[in-house]
Amino acid sequence: MRTPDLATRIAVTGAGIICAIGRNKGEVWQSIVESRDGIGKLTRFPGETFPTDIAAEVGELPSHKRLSRTDRLAVVAASEAITQAGEFPRERAIVSTGTSTGGLLEGEDFYLHGRTRASRVLQQPTSGPSDAVARAFHLGGGVLSNATACASAGAAIGMAADFLRSHHADVAIAGGSDALCRLTYSGFNVLQAVDPAPCKPFAADRKGITLGEGAAYLVLERWDDAIARGATILAELCGYGASCDAHHPTAPAEDGSGAQAAMRGALAEASLAPDAIDYVNAHGTGTLLNDSAETKALRSTFGDRVPVSSTKSYFGHTLGAAGGVEAVISVLALLHQTAPPTLRLAKSADDCTLDYIPHTPREMAMTNMLSNTFGFGGSNVSLLFRRV
Amino acid sequence: MWHRHSCLCALGRPEPVCIGSFSPGRTDKSVCATRDETTADVWRAATAVAALHNAHRMVRVPINGIGVIAPGAIGVDAFRAQLASGASAIAPVDRFDTSGLRTHDAALVRDFKPKDFIAPMKMRRMNGLSRFAVAAAKLAIDDAGGAIGADTGVAMGTAFGPVQTSVEYMKEYVEKGAALAPPQLFAESVANAPGSHIAIEWGLRGFNVTITQRESSALAAAMYACAQLLKGSARAALIGGVEEVNEMLFSVLDRLGGCAMGEGSAVLVANAGTRKPYAWLSGFGIARDTTATISDWGEDASAVARAMRAALDDAELDTVDAIYASANGNVRADRLEARAIEALFGDRVPIVKTKQIFGEYAAGGMLQFVAAILAVDEQRYDRVLVNSLSAGGGIVCAVVTS
Repeated sequence: MRTPDLATRIAVTGAGIICAIGRNKGEVWQSIVESRDGIGKLTRFPGETFPTDIAAEVGELPSHKRLSRTDRLAVVAASEAITQAGEFPRERAIVSTGTSTGGLLEGEDFYLHGRTRASRVLQQPTSGPSDAVARAFHLGGGVLSNATACASAGAAIGMAADFLRSHHADVAIAGGSDALCRLTYSGFNVLQAVDPAPCKPFAADRKGITLGEGAAYLVLERWDDAIARGATILAELCGYGASCDAHHPTAPAEDGSGAQAAMRGALAEASLAPDAIDYVNAHGTGTLLNDSAETKALRSTFGDRVPVSSTKSYFGHTLGAAGGVEAVISVLALLHQTAPPTLRLAKSADDCTLDYIPHTPREMAMTNMLSNTFGFGGSNVSLLFRRV
Repeated sequence: MWHRHSCLCALGRPEPVCIGSFSPGRTDKSVCATRDETTADVWRAATAVAALHNAHRMVRVPINGIGVIAPGAIGVDAFRAQLASGASAIAPVDRFDTSGLRTHDAALVRDFKPKDFIAPMKMRRMNGLSRFAVAAAKLAIDDAGGAIGADTGVAMGTAFGPVQTSVEYMKEYVEKGAALAPPQLFAESVANAPGSHIAIEWGLRGFNVTITQRESSALAAAMYACAQLLKGSARAALIGGVEEVNEMLFSVLDRLGGCAMGEGSAVLVANAGTRKPYAWLSGFGIARDTTATISDWGEDASAVARAMRAALDDAELDTVDAIYASANGNVRADRLEARAIEALFGDRVPIVKTKQIFGEYAAGGMLQFVAAILAVDEQRYDRVLVNSLSAGGGIVCAVVTS
């Protein structure tokens, strides 16, 4: 069996994104630069009441009789990424998608109203987005779906990189997609983990997450293949670290040990010491427990040297898509040499004592950065990207 | 000093992992690198030499323990006997009303007592999937013998995951309102809940992922886990699959037509324990049939052949002694697979079908995999190819060797 060869460099040759602050990279980065969030009144479930009433929604999408909303978000984002990557061997391209809900929204409609086609319910089990993207772009390398809660897309990207490094595929369309649905909107409210106001990661007055939706994909290739076909390389994916807290079904380990293990795993794969990291795009959900535990993990790994921010303050927590959305944000940050800020951070909490880049973007030299995603079940993933 | 090992020790690993009788490339890369030397270019220069040295070196992953909660069999010995007898566990469904449906049969797990495996306080927090999976993991760990370390990863596969929990949550949502639905159901509504409970139960702090690729879920999870073991990001792995037959899923599959549904869980212990390996995982291949629609199989047998060929190449084999077929009774899928096998192997290789015993989706596809592993353990074959063809066109194949 071929071993994933860590000496094989992985190039990012395409990126696509759709979320509450934009429907492509240009729109998203413009919103980042202008510190403009995409959080507004919840409109997706008219007539149904929840304890909170805000969300980071994408708005209307082109309809399709066979595709769930999560599938359609995935196809939009993948289209941008694949178009940017240009000509690559479609028959050896895999699709690797992380999603926590898949077509659950349509499953809910089926349950509540019996109004959705039965075949749509079959996309509830989360293989829908990968299948939809592979079918839309005639990709023959294989399909993989990762449903590891909010760490899904980070794991999907790491898995894709491994399969490129072991030559099980030549190209990977890797990312995540998740649409807002009732179960997650209600569920996080029941857990009292939703801030009634737009989320304030790391802030003293933070009360929880803002739920969002979106999709994002990277096109990944082995570096030499990308060079050989003359592709433009946007960034390098240098490391993937994964760990489990083994602590609690929903709450993170309070000491941040699991998060730290994931970050150290990514550093190990990239053969880098912590002091090589210039910026961390944090998981930073805005919940009391996550932001405190992640800060402990960051502090014990990097001291208080590294600037950190949570872009969930722009587009909410996109759940299973978060690792993909934030991977694309990370690539954009490296390209623009600008770290996105944490919005609405008037005063950091006593247990959040790092440099969180409040309010406005910061132009800074960045060579290596980490993107963190953690999920229910204590699954942690950290991806390490490098500037080209 | 920044030490390569201390970095890996994030998960408490004192030394590089070594899989089976071969040392993977990672061993050579695990020389110390001082903090001053850790620029990527320096490191890559060193690892490039190691990569050349290790090119084409075959490595494989031992399976040291098996736990099975199957329709008609609890435990690996009972499952072995069930396979030997060929007795089918597919029977009329009595868990819910099937009147008005075309199908009335499924392979249900009937004699499973979760309290035999899980403490009552913990059991209350688990849905049916999690109970199946934790029980199968316990059987597997006991079977492997010895302790299982914290630097163990978990990769689970499930085709449909927590559909029943989602339905139960929506029922409460409708009856009590969005603010009063039970948080416990929400916590269990994620597909990775079974893998999470396994990690908590045994303190496993390595990778923890759940793959949901329809009929290919379990094999894809195994493929992922093997990649992690070979590159050294965990010392050992639990590789499993889990599935649950429920009314909503059953009625939807009934409308689409096709094969009998199975359920249960099976977990493999990879590279841990004291037991002599049952068999070795030696290669994987992945492809997709671009003629497939989103919820059906396609017609391109060459794509299936490509995945089988890739798995053989990965295992450095030219052929195998038997093929444990994906064959699930769906006419289109079975015809596609038969054409692909004929194109690649002619009629030289025996084809073994197993899903008439425990149904499709049984243990997320893992029971078919376990059947192949046991066939190698019983020395009926030295080299077995295992196929999984999923609706939507995904194909994952694996090679199991003695």
